[in-house]
Amino acid sequence: MRPDEPLIRWDWIGRNRSMIWELLVDNTVMGLLPVLFGLLLALPIGLACVRWRVLYQPAAGLLNVVYALPSLALFIVLIPVTGLAERATVIIPLTCYALAVLVPAVVDGLRSVPDHVRQAAEAMGFTPLRRLVQVELPIAVPVVIGGMRVATVSSISLVSVGALIGRGGLGGLFVTGWQLRFPTPIIVGVVLVVLLAVAADGLLVLAGRLLTPWARARARAEAAASGEAA
Amino acid sequence: MIIFDGVTKRYPGGTVAVSDLTLEVPTGEISVLVGPSGCGKTTSLRMINRMVEPTAGRVLLDGRDVREIDPPTLRRGIGYVIQHGGLFPHRRVLDNIATVPYLLGWDRRRARRRARELMERVGLDDELADRYPFQLSGGQQQRVGVARALAADPPVLLMDEPFSAVDPVVRAGLQDELLRLQAELRKTIVFVTHDIDEAIKLGDRVAVLREGGRLAQYATPAELLAAPADDFVRAFLGRDRGIRLLSFLPAAGLPLRRDLVVAEGEAAPDGAEWVVEVDADRRPLGWRPAGKRSGSRAGSTAGNGRLAGYGAYRADRDSLRAALDAALLSPCGAAIALDEQDRVAGVVTREVLDEALARAAADAHGDAVPAARRPGGGAG
Repeated sequence: MRPDEPLIRWDWIGRNRSMIWELLVDNTVMGLLPVLFGLLLALPIGLACVRWRVLYQPAAGLLNVVYALPSLALFIVLIPVTGLAERATVIIPLTCYALAVLVPAVVDGLRSVPDHVRQAAEAMGFTPLRRLVQVELPIAVPVVIGGMRVATVSSISLVSVGALIGRGGLGGLFVTGWQLRFPTPIIVGVVLVVLLAVAADGLLVLAGRLLTPWARARARAEAAASGEAA
Repeated sequence: MIIFDGVTKRYPGGTVAVSDLTLEVPTGEISVLVGPSGCGKTTSLRMINRMVEPTAGRVLLDGRDVREIDPPTLRRGIGYVIQHGGLFPHRRVLDNIATVPYLLGWDRRRARRRARELMERVGLDDELADRYPFQLSGGQQQRVGVARALAADPPVLLMDEPFSAVDPVVRAGLQDELLRLQAELRKTIVFVTHDIDEAIKLGDRVAVLREGGRLAQYATPAELLAAPADDFVRAFLGRDRGIRLLSFLPAAGLPLRRDLVVAEGEAAPDGAEWVVEVDADRRPLGWRPAGKRSGSRAGSTAGNGRLAGYGAYRADRDSLRAALDAALLSPCGAAIALDEQDRVAGVVTREVLDEALARAAADAHGDAVPAARRPGGGAG
């Protein structure tokens, strides 16, 4: 790196605005789609794990092994199947990682439904499907959202590793900066990845509040109760 | 009417929860299943709405085997109140109460209107309609639970230890409320509890179950107290059976002495040791020894020390137990009887009470010792 090179060259940012925007969109899509797909897969898997308890330990163990696999290795394994520099090559491994976080979240969420609530629903005459949709899943939402926050932030950040196979969203800026010995793209990339992750997390928190006003009421009541006790 | 016909529940591990239970629960009455933990009372309750299926025997609901009815349909026609309320934490009070109407496909407006009616009926303030269950006290949650069970006006109500998680004062209030509701609604109620006092207070009939789900005795509370079937039932009923039995005998028939009731400052009749002083509205002021003359002015009360304290009972509705209690709170062992307007109707002397207690004791032993039975011997 040249000693006289400033940390940020604002004119470079101005000239490359459209390229940066494209990478930002790419990073957003490749970061969020795995969480969405992961959730869609985690719901039936989680339900099965709650229904048949014996499934959960093997499933959780398997997902943990997947989570331990290096992302770069998975990208490379997929290149012959889905192609180099393709979105799918990045999205599929990241979906597996999201799954590893979301299956336990769905299981914990469903288990957070108090037994007496489940029994009351049964005794009121809910059919099993209706009980799931109208009672168990809504009560599981706060725990599931907690899992989605972790999955989303890590997914958005992991997209950049894809730069090494030519499709890494904002990670592409790290490669450019390193190759040109030029810090501006690297700093822009890092700042945007963090901002994107924080924004997505904030939206999830907001969605959680809108979906579960009762959970906030409960949290407040519990805080008040513990305040009285202290 | 609900009939348990030789019902047994055996679990795969070999545990027998209910053993050959035969029982008739009459329509419009409260039948209580009571017993120690592990006696199969909750299991029995849940066989009525098919949350548990019997291994042998049948449960008949108005003559029909419940196993012929699809469980969700069956359950929507049977109210259920569970321990800890079982309220849905994510639904507001009004929507919790309207649960079964929603399931039955009522439109939203009608279901909510019905829910508001029920809130009033169980004594819940209208302001609570939009709260979440977490924002309610334990007693309020139980009321919501009862309202929810009644929402679709089912003829049968199953209650599984509904009041056991609240403090004793609230519990007593909820019990009174249930009796008041039942007097209006006349539901067929099966109530499960481990608390024998609750069983005796609420039940028209009480089934005492023992470990392993065997029926020890099924009788009215008075029969149970007077003649426990065996040592298990006797031990389970606990102390003071005799005194508690008096709760089931009305005090209405006791002869009253009106001559012992005097106005302030009025002389006592000849031969009386104590008299009750009353104010201008015939409300009791206290007991006065006949020898003393209270030269009182208007406005004097028992609080000034000249009059002794007293106990009183309502002659129109209270039991012999209340009359005895009132007598024990008076200096002379006599009880003050009040009328519907809480005015003094007269005095029950110790001699009259003695005789009533002796008669009650004889009646309690009526089956065991026929010789002790007086001719035509009723309590009143």
